[in-house]
Amino acid sequence: MRTLLSTVSVLLVALVAAPALADTAEIDAYSTLFYEFGGPLEMLVVNPQVRVRVDPADEVQITAAYEADIVSGASVAVVDSPSADVDVISSATQLDDVRSVVTGGLTLNSPFGRLRGSYSYGFESDYTSHSFTIGARSEVFERNTTFDLSYARGFDSVCDLNQPRAQEAVERRRLDVSDGCFDGENDLRTAHDLALQTFQGSWTQAWAPIFVTQLTLTAQLVDGFQSNPYRAVWLGRSAAQEHHPDNRFRYAASLGARLWIEPLSGALSARVRVYRDNWDVRSITAEAAYEQSIDGAVRVRVRGRYYTQGAAAFFSDDYGIRPVGQYFTGDRELSDQESFMAGLSLVWTLTPGSEGANLGPLQAFRLVLKADYIHHEFPGFNYVRASVPNNNSIMGTLGIELIF
Amino acid sequence: MDSRSSSKLGILLLLLLALAATGCVMVQPAQREFLADPAMTFGSEGTAGAMEEHVLSNREGSAGAGAVTGGGCGCN
Repeated sequence: MRTLLSTVSVLLVALVAAPALADTAEIDAYSTLFYEFGGPLEMLVVNPQVRVRVDPADEVQITAAYEADIVSGASVAVVDSPSADVDVISSATQLDDVRSVVTGGLTLNSPFGRLRGSYSYGFESDYTSHSFTIGARSEVFERNTTFDLSYARGFDSVCDLNQPRAQEAVERRRLDVSDGCFDGENDLRTAHDLALQTFQGSWTQAWAPIFVTQLTLTAQLVDGFQSNPYRAVWLGRSAAQEHHPDNRFRYAASLGARLWIEPLSGALSARVRVYRDNWDVRSITAEAAYEQSIDGAVRVRVRGRYYTQGAAAFFSDDYGIRPVGQYFTGDRELSDQESFMAGLSLVWTLTPGSEGANLGPLQAFRLVLKADYIHHEFPGFNYVRASVPNNNSIMGTLGIELIF
Repeated sequence: MDSRSSSKLGILLLLLLALAATGCVMVQPAQREFLADPAMTFGSEGTAGAMEEHVLSNREGSAGAGAVTGGGCGCN
């Protein structure tokens, strides 16, 4: 709580001081609400975020941000336990948590390109993370081509139940509450390390005055404890904390294209992403959108997204009957799944003089509204015989940007 | 050379050819009016787009290769 208050205080000072410190400054305040519904396992995630950016010189940008994930809902603690086919909610536990992330970043611009670096610290009752990111961008061929490279390194720590006597994974019990995590004095708690390395490269190319494409490649190496410490899986005679492999190599590639439709003054966009990892999760994502500008001040965007995924190699819907090797999971994200998404967004930008507006010190004011509906299908995941009850969700975003 | 190696070599050659072709593409600054429009800029969804990716990556088994800000329009 102390860290949170300090962070908020620093950001408040930055909010007030930012416009005075630099010729150009930007303050963004956003909040996203995600609500999963359709059955008893409701989940609500509210994600507020504040970001301040100042440009003390033409070549330098400094950013500071704070975001939180406020999660509340119900979660099945023992997946496939014998009582679950009677009533999924009977074995569900209430989940309430707040994750906070503070970020600081520096960007240096030059005629040859841009260098950036940032650091993020995330903390919640049972998880901490330190993340460093560096990146470089360069525009070549008369600025028709942009290359961007980045590398991120994460050092995370996951709280768990200290079980020195449990030699085998099948003997491990799940963590039931986060009390005592990271306090250094509770013998019933321990922490596992999780290291992340992410490499990303992108190539953006303007092929014509109305056509641009972007190819992005990502490789990620995750090493450490990747199970949900709170979740157990029924193995036939007893339940054990879910047990995922320690290493995960993830690869993703996406190709996006945008085409300007001159008679409509709008743009069509499409994007396809393929993904694979060494857990044998494979997925394809396809997106299409159309964005229309109205009087230059309002932009409306409609879009659709389709996602399909194959299950991890060690996934089983019932480990009591069909065990798959040494690992076991109750994570529906590792099962076969499909999702359909449809959304609408609206961005209204007000500048001095437009619509007779007097904005004082502001160069621009921007309002962002976004809403999406998502339907999920989990054909291979059941809580014994009960299918996933909450397979619909809505996501809404409200954002305000002030540019000084 | 097995078929797998030759297909990798083919992809590499195709990428090199595409990269070489970029040097021939010349959209002049005066022709960048449409490319500079936010609708033509990758990552123009900004914070809202990043938040969406954050939510989806927590609900799906895959992540990565998201849109990188920029449109190759020299407008950033």
